[in-house]
Amino acid sequence: MKTFIVAAFVAALPSAALAHAMLDHAMPPVGSSQNTAPREVVLSFTEDLEPAFSSIEVRSEAGAVVSSGKAKVQHTQMRVPLKALGAGTYKVIWRVLSVDTHRTQGDFTFKVGP
Amino acid sequence: MSAFPLRVALCAAAVAFVCCDTANAHEIVGNRSFPATLTIDDPGVADELALPTVSWYKTGDDPSVRQRDISFEFAKRITEDFGVSFGSAYSRIYAPGGPNMNGANGFQDLETALKYRLYKNPEHEFVLSVGVEIEWGGTGARDVGSEAFNVYTPTLYFGKGFGDLPSSLGWARPFAITGQVGYAIPGVSSTSAIDPDTGDIDTEYNPRVLVWGGSLQYSMPYLKSSVVDLGLPDFFNRLIPIVEASLQTPVSNTATSGTVTTGTINPGFLYVGQTYQIGIEAMIPVNRQSGTGVGAIAQLHLFLDDIFPNSLGKPLFGNSIAAGRPKFGN
Repeated sequence: MKTFIVAAFVAALPSAALAHAMLDHAMPPVGSSQNTAPREVVLSFTEDLEPAFSSIEVRSEAGAVVSSGKAKVQHTQMRVPLKALGAGTYKVIWRVLSVDTHRTQGDFTFKVGP
Repeated sequence: MSAFPLRVALCAAAVAFVCCDTANAHEIVGNRSFPATLTIDDPGVADELALPTVSWYKTGDDPSVRQRDISFEFAKRITEDFGVSFGSAYSRIYAPGGPNMNGANGFQDLETALKYRLYKNPEHEFVLSVGVEIEWGGTGARDVGSEAFNVYTPTLYFGKGFGDLPSSLGWARPFAITGQVGYAIPGVSSTSAIDPDTGDIDTEYNPRVLVWGGSLQYSMPYLKSSVVDLGLPDFFNRLIPIVEASLQTPVSNTATSGTVTTGTINPGFLYVGQTYQIGIEAMIPVNRQSGTGVGAIAQLHLFLDDIFPNSLGKPLFGNSIAAGRPKFGN
């Protein structure tokens, strides 16, 4: 019985409250190599985001900003268009505020080219 | 075997296994989240509840006896950088342990910890905190080794993630280490008791003890969200393999305690959910004085800042926007 109660409690936890917005998955994927240059970066999070305080910036190895404009937020998803990318490694830097006011941030890279 | 050495051994076991079980938290530094560790404290300040932490092991007594502890800890931020925590443990010692060799049950002394985050460097995933842990003497049951006097332990905590390694060492970036060094100062330097076997008065000198330990951890959530998404099942992306070490070394006033270092090395896994964490580790004694055989410890840890973000889970004073755990994706 005790085991059941604990298991039920744990199972209920993820839906019992809002939580930090964590990166669920990204396109292009984290650490991936792309044969063709992507036209945008799309990040999916585990919670709804506050658009005014959420952003994506993409930079080249030289530090140049290659993302174009402000990121668009729709519920758990945030996307930003990219300029025409050549071969190289690019760094995606994201900062978000979830609707329950928790801030999260992170970064990852992806490659374009063989 | 007289009751006196058994009591001494029980006290040593309590110091070795219980004092460090109830203080845990997690900490965010830049892209790094230092998870709650089971046998040492992590380097940060947070709103959390560890309930329960359950451990099973065989003590370092002669003969060794089985002991089970069920503990809890509640941690609350007063400000963004300053927090307080409360905890205790309920112990069951199996026969032939206990004062009459029939086993014993009871609470350990209540513990309070105050901690202040001194320095945080998000770029290098480094954090440094200081604190003091107080064991309130006389609040627990003597039969399970609780002290009758207070013990004060000023402690330094640190954490370092390796996310700043070059991309050529990307596989190593999910590694992190944490550590703590404390100096346990008993409120009284010695205690006396009448030996029931001989009628003599035995004096036990209460040593000052270096309480130290650390952890080496590899964050699969960090690997997935910052280095490479290997497309693993969600379960594996939430695991953190970890090895903890929790050790104590008497360093002064050691006439009756000796100076042998005791403690355990604890390999295991943490599973990090959105609002909770589950951890399980083996407890391997470092020597005979630390125990016999391999014990185990498990913990359910709740992130109150996620469960109650607008009430219990935020600092009492100051900034209401909480820094998040940035690297735990699904």
